Amino acid sequence: MADFFLQALGQVGSPMVLALITIGVLFGIIGGCIPGFTVTMAILVVFPFTFAMDPVSGVSLMVGVFVGGYSGGLVSGVMLGIPGTPSSITTVYDGYPMAQKGEPGRALGIGVAASFLGTLISVAVLVFFGPLIASYSMKFRPWEITSLIVFALTLVAGLSNGAMLKGLLAAALGLLITTVGYDRNSNLRFDFDLPALGSGFEILPVMIGIFAFSQLMGNLEKLRDDKSDIKEVNTNVEIPYRKILLDMSRQKINTLRSSLIGSLVGALPGTGGTVANFISYDQAKKFSRHPEKFGTGTPDGIVASEASNSAVAGGAFVPTLALGIPGDLPMAIMMGVLILHGITPGPLMFEQNPVLVGAIYVSLLIGAVIMVLCQLLLVRWFAKISLIPQQVLVPVVLMLCAVGAFALNNNLFDVWVLFIFGILGYLLWKAEVPLTPLILGVVLGDNMERQLFRALELDSSWLTFLTRPLSALFLALAVASLIFSLYQNRKIRLQALATKGGDA
Amino acid sequence: MLMLTKDRALALAMMLMAGIMLVESGNIPPPNSWQPYGSALFPRILLVVVGALSLLILIRSLLAGARRADTPRRTFPQWLAHNRTVLGLFLLFGLYTVLLPLVGYIAATLGFLIVAFALLMGIDTRRKWIINLAVSGILVPLVYVIFRFGLNVWLP
Repeated sequence: MADFFLQALGQVGSPMVLALITIGVLFGIIGGCIPGFTVTMAILVVFPFTFAMDPVSGVSLMVGVFVGGYSGGLVSGVMLGIPGTPSSITTVYDGYPMAQKGEPGRALGIGVAASFLGTLISVAVLVFFGPLIASYSMKFRPWEITSLIVFALTLVAGLSNGAMLKGLLAAALGLLITTVGYDRNSNLRFDFDLPALGSGFEILPVMIGIFAFSQLMGNLEKLRDDKSDIKEVNTNVEIPYRKILLDMSRQKINTLRSSLIGSLVGALPGTGGTVANFISYDQAKKFSRHPEKFGTGTPDGIVASEASNSAVAGGAFVPTLALGIPGDLPMAIMMGVLILHGITPGPLMFEQNPVLVGAIYVSLLIGAVIMVLCQLLLVRWFAKISLIPQQVLVPVVLMLCAVGAFALNNNLFDVWVLFIFGILGYLLWKAEVPLTPLILGVVLGDNMERQLFRALELDSSWLTFLTRPLSALFLALAVASLIFSLYQNRKIRLQALATKGGDA
Repeated sequence: MLMLTKDRALALAMMLMAGIMLVESGNIPPPNSWQPYGSALFPRILLVVVGALSLLILIRSLLAGARRADTPRRTFPQWLAHNRTVLGLFLLFGLYTVLLPLVGYIAATLGFLIVAFALLMGIDTRRKWIINLAVSGILVPLVYVIFRFGLNVWLP
């Protein structure tokens, strides 16, 4: 392990790659601190720039965006009282009140320190559990992999707030999109006599179209419906380093607990920073000796929130690298980056591309250090940047999406794919269909079909999926996740009815 | 009278799509001795799943009845006026996609950005014009230079 780690350190330590990580971190923080822009959008915008890079440079740049993005939401949360990303919602609960009390520098400093420690702990989790899970999953055969993909999709679909049927529909649609064009046997499917459809859809324009258009148009609609005034921001921030060190020295257990929660939640499909954020904040409050101080500007709340959402970055890499199954949207895009560079994430990656795996570890660590330096030195600028209006941002991002889609294969058809799937994504979003299962379906579709037919070629009986213990376990978990989701939906409906009755 | 709600429209559209694709799947070469399951099996399974889920969404929606809308119902011209920004931007992006191969990256992108900024920000003040032209004028050549010389990607 030490060998490939040192090799990775050598590659990532080159000035060029360090510069790319710094650019990635800066862009990630900017993306994270602009309300409504999100980490995922920052990753999508940066992604096309990796096309011409070697795998280590491309992955390092993207890791930089991850690390910066998860910590960027802190700035607008503290300075404006608006979470830059959904994963920093609970940061606002205590960060903003602390800033309002005249201590924005302290709130930002605590948040940055917690983000840094959260990232470090999550890298430790990744380094320990990644190879362990990967070596165990080497035993997986096509039946287990197929069942695992089914489980991942049902879990993500089931977690779509009260919209399980639509989540499942979205997952099936995502899988269906991958069946267009020539298949593994060179048979043409669903080309509708259009030659351009013969080669199928590239994953990236589909993903970018579905996500970016719905998100950006949604932001515009929100802007249209929300007539509240633009907040003024005081960018005169002083960081009280001594006080922050003292604060952090009292937060050791909270930091560790929140980081572990973030890493664990990040490793589960369909969850991500938002869920980690809330669970960790809730746990910190329960374990605190002064729960009444939460929400009034206590350091405990900021630490719980920021350590957990930053720890998601390392945790989310575990299933992506070890199993080839991304847990959330940013990871689905990260998987797209790896596939684009000819690397198939999964158990074999640890054997076939150990240096690249090491480069991810090292980039996460270096990214965390750069993030701290950037946040502390440039926080005033980030606060100003967070005020960039959506009216300027939306056309620029759409243009970059179009250029990125074109640059993938120097093919204008991909820009059309982006546009068509942009319309489809927007319409589905308007119909309240969750888009994450759809995108995961698109990413996992090819592998699922390949594994399903490999299983059937080895043993023609469908019952084998149920007679192999691990495969049966994954399918049972898939069913259990749906039953749990049904139960949750019913509970939410009954609560809504009770509230309605109470109001009447 | 039955109303066309979001769920019903979604379910009907998905069932229509599944139906069309099921018919189209008839054009996929059938199974043979060395491909016992054929290339149509996987998409057909998915189409059945899509159809069944859409049917469930439709039935659930019919059983629940039409939910009273939170927002007031609008006539088509009112709806058009309410959503003019989003619709305009979609239209503009479509036009940009058409023009990209015809007039090239620089002209098409410059045109797209200037019109899109004007649509979203307005053009009622001198400051807005300056922001519009400055952002468009700097960004378009900058992206071109990065892709052409930094990443060796030829833009159209």
